[in-house]
Amino acid sequence: MFLELKNINKSYGNKSNRIQVLKDINLSLDKGDFCVLLGPSGSGKSTLLNIIGGIDRSDSGEIIIDNEAMTAMSDRQLTAYRRRHLGYIFQSYNLIPNLTVRENIEVGAYLGRHPLSVDEMLSVLGLKDHERKLPNQLSGGQQQRTAIGRAIVKNPDILLCDEPTGALDYKTSKDILGLIETVNDHYGCTVIMVTHNDALKNMAHRVISLKDGTIRDNYLNASRMRARDLEW
Amino acid sequence: MTNPLRKRLPRDLRSDFGKYLVIFLLMVISIGEVSGFDVADSSMIRAYQESFEKYNIEDGNFLISNKASAGQIRSIEEAGVTLYPNFYRELVLDNGSTLRIFAHRSEVNKACLMEGSFPRQTGQIALDRMFADNNGISVGDRISSGSRSFKVTGLIALSDYSALFQNNGDTMFDSVRFGVAEVSQEEFASYSKKYLKFCYSWKYQKSPSSEEEERDMAEDFMEKANDEVRLEAFTPRFENQSITFTGEDMGSDKAMMQAFLYIIIVIIAFVFGVTINNTIQKEAEVIGTLRATGYSKNELIRHYMAMPLLVTLVSALLGNILGYTLLKDFNAYLYYNSYSLPTYVTRWSPGAFISTTLIPVVLMILITYLSLKRKLSLSPLKFLRRDLRKTSRGRALPLSRHIPFFTRFRLRIILQNIPNYMILFVGIIFANLLLMFGLIFPSIMDHYQATIKENMLCPYQYILQIPMDAMDEDHRFSSFLNLLYFSAEASSRNEDAEKFSAYTLKTMEKKGTRSEEILLYGIKRKSSYISLPTDLADTEDGTEIFISSAYADKYRLKAGDRITLREPYDKDTYNFRVRGIYDYQCGLTIFMDQEVLNRTFDLDPDYFSGYLSSSEIKDIPQKYISTVIDEESLTKVSRQLMVSMGSMMNLVCAFSVIIFMILIYVLSKTIIEKNAHSISMTKVLGYRGGEISRLYILASFLIVMIFILISLPMETAAMKAIFRIVMMTSISGWIPFYLDPLIYRQMTALGIGTYALVAILEYLKILKIPMEEALKETS
Repeated sequence: MFLELKNINKSYGNKSNRIQVLKDINLSLDKGDFCVLLGPSGSGKSTLLNIIGGIDRSDSGEIIIDNEAMTAMSDRQLTAYRRRHLGYIFQSYNLIPNLTVRENIEVGAYLGRHPLSVDEMLSVLGLKDHERKLPNQLSGGQQQRTAIGRAIVKNPDILLCDEPTGALDYKTSKDILGLIETVNDHYGCTVIMVTHNDALKNMAHRVISLKDGTIRDNYLNASRMRARDLEW
Repeated sequence: MTNPLRKRLPRDLRSDFGKYLVIFLLMVISIGEVSGFDVADSSMIRAYQESFEKYNIEDGNFLISNKASAGQIRSIEEAGVTLYPNFYRELVLDNGSTLRIFAHRSEVNKACLMEGSFPRQTGQIALDRMFADNNGISVGDRISSGSRSFKVTGLIALSDYSALFQNNGDTMFDSVRFGVAEVSQEEFASYSKKYLKFCYSWKYQKSPSSEEEERDMAEDFMEKANDEVRLEAFTPRFENQSITFTGEDMGSDKAMMQAFLYIIIVIIAFVFGVTINNTIQKEAEVIGTLRATGYSKNELIRHYMAMPLLVTLVSALLGNILGYTLLKDFNAYLYYNSYSLPTYVTRWSPGAFISTTLIPVVLMILITYLSLKRKLSLSPLKFLRRDLRKTSRGRALPLSRHIPFFTRFRLRIILQNIPNYMILFVGIIFANLLLMFGLIFPSIMDHYQATIKENMLCPYQYILQIPMDAMDEDHRFSSFLNLLYFSAEASSRNEDAEKFSAYTLKTMEKKGTRSEEILLYGIKRKSSYISLPTDLADTEDGTEIFISSAYADKYRLKAGDRITLREPYDKDTYNFRVRGIYDYQCGLTIFMDQEVLNRTFDLDPDYFSGYLSSSEIKDIPQKYISTVIDEESLTKVSRQLMVSMGSMMNLVCAFSVIIFMILIYVLSKTIIEKNAHSISMTKVLGYRGGEISRLYILASFLIVMIFILISLPMETAAMKAIFRIVMMTSISGWIPFYLDPLIYRQMTALGIGTYALVAILEYLKILKIPMEEALKETS
């Protein structure tokens, strides 16, 4: 297994108003899997993504990635882990406002040991004509494409997507999902995507459904659909 | 691959050009001035120190009433010194100033020729450069004293008169009314002995190895010399203000300037800290994303430190270039304006580089690094959630619903910006302190002059010069007869004239303060000029005295205190008990019963040494008058300080106004910018411009007003403390602290004016932001 989570627990708050957001989560993913984490608001899916991404820590349990135990890592090691293995995409694009599209993608490329070509990335993302533009000159879809470029240009092992289409319209959302699919197919990186859009489960290899901090469903998708064929 | 974040730097610079420009200018001016000052000061100090050897400056001098005989000289020199006659005469020029004239010196205390040539013939004179400048005299001009006239052949600096003190006990020198000059030996030889002052300089045959040894040697030598001749004055070099004042002042100036620079740098670093903090808040999600993607904390710290460091480095570079060129000359000019220094050679001081470049850069690195490290130590998740508090978010302070909505809104803005306001408060205190420093100087001087005019004991005080033969203890009978003759000759028939006795003692030396001369007045009972109790007497605790309010203020003395003073020229000490304070600000003086004074110092019961008078005394032979203390002589301190410090203070004033405006501008801008998004949002919601300014700008305006007002007493207290330190360490005598209430009004008006200007600029900027910007998610 490339990624393994064993008995992950996480709670927030202090004694009187403590809320357990994750309860005994166990899951494993192979390299190159496309996994969708589904669930309503407050189900714990973003928290689980953040723990996998090493930007939040579990209270107990174990995370093993590529045979490395993440739970024992120091902050410095976690930074190195993220640098080496992870790409992140958020609902808000979080681009650097005074860097151009190309430069924003270069920000990601700088971190990779064997980064992909920025030019190739711009072509794949359909941003070649916009490479000199600043984020505030782009549409929401173009900004999210740039964010995807920044995340994958460093050639990560895992691409973590937190509601990547949450702020986009239907058509643009499908474009973006197509792009993430292409990245998964083309570059072979494991994708874990958090969404509350039930329709997106159809494009995943593995679907994990969370409710109240526990896994309600965890299954392999037998008949996977292409992003362009999704409807909601 | 280089870090692509670097590409942000020029764009950050462009987008915030105004802020960086003012910070840059502030640093260039500060570093340039301190660097220029440091180089000029180091070079001057070096020239000053080298002048001791180069011009063979004396180890001390003493004054006697008659020329010493060859035997006396031989005998004195047995104490291990070499004596050099350094006679002079004083002439009152037609412009009213006094010129002390020496014969051209070739052995000790040699002169540095600054312009022209030394006098070679009779009728020629070389004047002290500063005295000539202050009196508008140039080489080639003629100066005259009655029927005597001189052609000025050169401008010089006498190495033993770098500060032009006429009398060593003077509070301050007066380079407008007093100067020194050299004439040819031939010219000097033509002067009658009766006008000459017989001053002898001495050099030790074996130089003392420490200050302590120098003091011991001086004391021993004084006793030896006093055995041979009757000393009228004895001034070892370390006590000679004309020689030491300049060096001490230059050293303390340097420390002050460096402290000033470091305060500026710390303030600027805090300004950067505040702006970085705001940037971090603005870019929280970007930072969270970068951290989540694998950017390390140190990479981001380096990124956010780059601009402050770059600005500091470029400012230091440009500041140093300016300092070593233009400002060095300017600072040297300020010194030449104050002191009669010899020519100097510019020394490239490594100390200047360290203090103006290395230390500011290190300070900037340290402060920005620590503030960034603290801020960026939050987890990436916190950044992504824009939750940048170290501690858990407390509940909002409950505000009563009875408070009008606008007031509550303003209170929320104030509470939200407390850290920024705190920095603004520090900035206001510092800028105002500088401003006060610049503004207060003329008011202190004006007040001092006015106080002196109102506070004089009487319009004229005459200190008499008692003939030596009237004081000769070895021939008591003839000296008694001589004293009787002197008393008859020096008796005035002026009805206003009132006899008094005067005696000079010195304060005991304490660490950090200089020994000062205290003038003791022996006043007759029921004096018309000084009203003292009639029962002042000797007690077991010491002689009862009144001290001047200046003396009480300077040494923090009060009624009931005991003080000990010493003889200037031997080790005898005297104890006194302070019975009360006499309101007199013109000098450090003691008032006591005349009979008691005469008895205390073993003087004849009828002894007197001067007159107090409300009108000019004209019936005493001039030869018996040593000094006339009138309004002019008492105001020479303030006159000289205005001459030497006036231009410096104008500079400080202008500089402090600039710093004040820059600090208020940068810090207020930061606060308003922090709220720019909310301001735009209120526009979207339909608030009008006036309402927005009432909400946001007025809140900060009120805070600035409150800060300015509450900072004033703090600045006054700090200024009083600084002023006291300067008075204790650098000035003989006492100038009372005075703060003209007008200064408070000026400072408040300037603060409000500056903030209003900044607020208008910011408001106009905010009004230009299109409303859709407030709603648009740009990152």
